[in-house]
Amino acid sequence: MEPTAVMTDSPCAIQIRGLSKTYKTGFWFTPKVTHALKGVHLDIYENQAFGLMGLNGAGKTTLIKLVLALLRPTAGSVMVLGGSIAQRSVRQQIGYLPELPYFSKQHTGRELLEYFGSLHGFSGSTLQHRVDEILELIRMRSAAGLKVSGYSKGMLQRIGIGQALIGKPKLLICDEPMSGLDPVGYKEMRDIFIDLKKAGTTLFLNTHILDEVERVCDRIGILHEGSLKEVAPISKILESSVPVDYWIDVDSGEAPKLSGIPFQEAVQKNGGVQVSGLVLAETLSLLTSRKAQVKGVRPLSSQVEAYFLNAIGAQAHLNRPRMGTP
Amino acid sequence: MRRILAVTTFTFRELLRSRLLFVWLISVIVLCGLDFLLSILSFGSILQIFMDLGLAGMEISGLLVLLLGLAVTYTTEMDQKAIFLHLAKPLTRGEYLLGRILGFFLVNCLVVLGMGLVVVGLVIFLGGGTVPALFYDCVVFILLEMFVLTTLGLTYQMIATSMVGVVLYTFFTVFLGHCIGEVQWLLNQEMSHWIKVLLRMVYYILPNLEAFNLKDRLYDPNLVLGWAQWQDILLYAFSYSFVVFLIGWINLEKREFR
Repeated sequence: MEPTAVMTDSPCAIQIRGLSKTYKTGFWFTPKVTHALKGVHLDIYENQAFGLMGLNGAGKTTLIKLVLALLRPTAGSVMVLGGSIAQRSVRQQIGYLPELPYFSKQHTGRELLEYFGSLHGFSGSTLQHRVDEILELIRMRSAAGLKVSGYSKGMLQRIGIGQALIGKPKLLICDEPMSGLDPVGYKEMRDIFIDLKKAGTTLFLNTHILDEVERVCDRIGILHEGSLKEVAPISKILESSVPVDYWIDVDSGEAPKLSGIPFQEAVQKNGGVQVSGLVLAETLSLLTSRKAQVKGVRPLSSQVEAYFLNAIGAQAHLNRPRMGTP
Repeated sequence: MRRILAVTTFTFRELLRSRLLFVWLISVIVLCGLDFLLSILSFGSILQIFMDLGLAGMEISGLLVLLLGLAVTYTTEMDQKAIFLHLAKPLTRGEYLLGRILGFFLVNCLVVLGMGLVVVGLVIFLGGGTVPALFYDCVVFILLEMFVLTTLGLTYQMIATSMVGVVLYTFFTVFLGHCIGEVQWLLNQEMSHWIKVLLRMVYYILPNLEAFNLKDRLYDPNLVLGWAQWQDILLYAFSYSFVVFLIGWINLEKREFR
């Protein structure tokens, strides 16, 4: 299924047309071909936050690397901010945070930011001022003078986002930006993204964290096995009728009344029933007719998660036992 | 230019703090120890021993620092993928490569010149002699050799797929580069046409590191280094390095980072 086009007045920050990437591995006599991306068409509009979702190995990082020209496409084209990524003027306006960024351990956080700032053309007091601003933003001022070798994973991620923002980017591309962050760091990072979005920065987030997608992104794309399955505005997804899993909690003594619920989507377990939203009403009315004491009903997944699972055809997930349920 | 300078400074600082200069320090200690030992045993002139060993020490310690630096930075830049962050910035791959080469070369200059100062100190203060002008020419020749090898090493770093590969390629280039005289001698012998073609390729592709080997002629009374000789060696060092740099640049442009 081709993604649906979304009409918007904003110009394209990233325009991807028929993008394919094939990896060839193995030796001459045993070549192995992997199709990492298969003819992806995608528009990411300026001043919007776009979230790219997909399972591990779906091709998300490959897509980002192709946008940044770290990989060459087998077929198709990418336009970034109206030009080619090869142009210095285009790169000048881009910030990139790779998944688990790695830095030379011999430098301090401040030195790294100074270096990356100088690559963006800052110098002298302007550079120092910009580095101070970024250190304040990522809350690393007190650790700025320490060598990177002594930093925690979360601190490295903060320096990573700092170097991505040092050039005041118009387009920020992040690959799993929440990796390694503690809950406080996660919230701070999310707030940074929301502030950047308000300031007009285009965000392209490659993420697994659905909460981040719901709170930050305007649109999401779902990549599965190298193909873009869906592209939709988040508002549309939240209003969509994709069924969500629910947990119906009943009294422990009511177990016999749960047996024989005639729906395939309802799975009886100790203390309740896990049921798809498709048959929630019917299951509840059945339990009421059996005079079962229902203590409560709560959703087991978000609308975005359900939409994601539906898009990649993982219906089996809906009936899979989940953590947190008995 | 500012961006190249930024990469140079970054590389220089990275290498200096990687404790590579311990190699230099160990070389200096070994050199002083050997000088002391040989001067006691009185094998020839003490001054000659100081200078011969010093020049050899400069070349060896420069080479060791280069090889170790290549190994350390390959792990960081290529294996750990730190290079992604540089290449995603408004910096061309050519600027990145040139900055790295200059950063490495600066560290090598520090090592070679530092060792040179130690040797001059030994000759003047311990040996009570004077340093001939040709000694300084030898140091410049070693620096030129290091420049060629640095360009080659960094180019290998852009081509090779493992750290061991980079170190081995560089090491064998040094070894074969010093055997160019033997290759030239073989070319004048009677042998199969195809072997001669192969040898001729080796002769033209590999750097002629013997061209930078002035230290063996330090006491040659007939040796006079005129402007023409300087012109030749400078032209050779920079033109060879330029071609190697272009090859490295083209490879880096083509390289994919998975």
